[in-house]
Amino acid sequence: MSTDQDPALQPLVDALLVRALGDGGFASHAGGAYAPEATAWAVLALVAAGAGPEQVPAARARLAAGQAADGRVSLDAEHPEAFWVTPLAALAWHGAPRQAAAASRAVGFLLATTGRHWPKAPGAATGHDPALRGWPWIEDTHSFVEPTALALLALRRAGQGAHERAREAARMLLDRQLPRGGWNYGNTTVYGQELRPAAVETGVALAALAGLTTQAEVLRSLAFARAEAARLRTPLSLAWALLGLGAWGERPAAARSWVLESAAAQPRRGAYPTTLLALLLLAAVGDAAVARVLPR
Amino acid sequence: MDRRDRGARLAWTRREFLVRAGGGTLAGVGIAGLPGCARRRPGQATFIARVARYDVELAAPILRGLRELGVTGSEIKGKRILLKPNLVEPHLGAGHINTHPSVVRGAAEAFRRLGAAEILVGDAPGHCRDSLLVLEESRLGEVLAADRLRYVDLNAAAVTTVPNLGGRTRLARLTLPAVARQVDFIVSLAKLKTHHWAGVTLALKNLFGLLPGAYYGYPKNLLHREGIPKSIVDVAATVRAHFAIVDGIVGMEGDGPIMGAARPVGVLVLGRNLPAVDATCARVMGIDPLKVTYLAAAAGWLGPVAAAEIGQRGEAIAAVRTEFALPEHIPALRGLRG
Repeated sequence: MSTDQDPALQPLVDALLVRALGDGGFASHAGGAYAPEATAWAVLALVAAGAGPEQVPAARARLAAGQAADGRVSLDAEHPEAFWVTPLAALAWHGAPRQAAAASRAVGFLLATTGRHWPKAPGAATGHDPALRGWPWIEDTHSFVEPTALALLALRRAGQGAHERAREAARMLLDRQLPRGGWNYGNTTVYGQELRPAAVETGVALAALAGLTTQAEVLRSLAFARAEAARLRTPLSLAWALLGLGAWGERPAAARSWVLESAAAQPRRGAYPTTLLALLLLAAVGDAAVARVLPR
Repeated sequence: MDRRDRGARLAWTRREFLVRAGGGTLAGVGIAGLPGCARRRPGQATFIARVARYDVELAAPILRGLRELGVTGSEIKGKRILLKPNLVEPHLGAGHINTHPSVVRGAAEAFRRLGAAEILVGDAPGHCRDSLLVLEESRLGEVLAADRLRYVDLNAAAVTTVPNLGGRTRLARLTLPAVARQVDFIVSLAKLKTHHWAGVTLALKNLFGLLPGAYYGYPKNLLHREGIPKSIVDVAATVRAHFAIVDGIVGMEGDGPIMGAARPVGVLVLGRNLPAVDATCARVMGIDPLKVTYLAAAAGWLGPVAAAEIGQRGEAIAAVRTEFALPEHIPALRGLRG
């Protein structure tokens, strides 16, 4: 459902739009400077909501202006190693003719890039298979769950879901799934102890894997996401739990009211950063609208 | 605040570094190279307060420790204070993972009573990106709201990049939250825990949580790549926190820093010099600090670690020593017993 059909979501759209800057980008918060991750998420949320017809093209152009020659999009020019924003930019550019080349370069960068990986040693302290390639947060570090899931979403959206890197990323995510269900940042067991899951990584991994694996393989993770979505009202955790469930056709009936409850907590918690506003909007608009920006 | 703090200078000057390093002492210039100068210098003492529970007023024992260690109103009045708790990964029912909210409250109240102009609480949790969830699950949010303390999510705050003054890793620069430059006094509000990679996590390791995940990854992947002990030394040498308060009322033994068991010790450990504080904490845990790699590397350079070089105030270490479980199957914990 887009916001023109659901006036209750208009305040979220309005709150996003006031973060738009004169250069076309979005700030991470009121009065802030250009932030590429906030810009990408704002584009995705506005497109899904059918809003921001002037702001979306400008934001996409601003993102493209910050792209490096090799296709990466980093947090800022001084930190090219912090390239975890690249899949978000690729998603934001998808379907925009003016940024088709930028999107292609970003996807090319992802396909050519991975983290640090090594063969699993006998008796290793950590339980996961470190040889399975995904994507890291930061260049030349080990691959972890969230950047890998975001890159997988970007590849699938770009029609590269059958690429060997995408298939390996799916295997990597399943390997990092906790035995009792859910994901955390990316360690399953350390010295034989199973670590605890978290809603954010569980949601993003579920969103990335939907359609690539069977429901039986993620059943416990879906149960964890359902429980967390019902319990949590912090925007990042709630939004990703709902997006993950929605990708598997399990969006809770109360999802919209939970999102509105989370948004209404801002007077107490303080105004949310742009990324969180955008994720809440995405989690509120419903699966059909989300399918405009994320693979389904 | 902007993500990039473009107006800030890019580095502390050498003079600023030396002043910050030791409050005017020689702590930052290689004490080991100055024979005879290192024994029990002012500012290198530690204080142990015996505190059995969290549901008591903690400002009083903290204030007593601050005064015993020479931190007075004349030093704090009008200053901006950053309290940096350890909030690595909050879970309901597993409070021994994080610095207890009552310790944050007690520290804030103590610095308020000494005349601090502003007190900020900030962390860049290594595992959990949802900073609002961190505050809610740890119950710290309730304390911050009730006590009108401002929280800064250091994972998302404005940053500044400075030269790495430690030089132990290959990192030429460190990217720090700009607020670390803007405050006058940084307090590492750590937790007394074992650590399955580093041996222990105390006041120095807690400084990892100043570095934003957006630039280092989750959980601080860049520092893990470079080696945790070396990274601890580099961050400590570059940030030079002014004070440490370690929450050892209930610590964590065994497979820390997340999956270990709660271990009541009933102490708060305070000090100006973080290696000295960590050394005292290690001894309280039944660990020889010189067997902990990062403390051995910091010894005599960033501060004293040898017992003879650390003045002890408050409770005697022997009176509160509580041997923490050090499972043999974890290499970083093997052979640490002191």
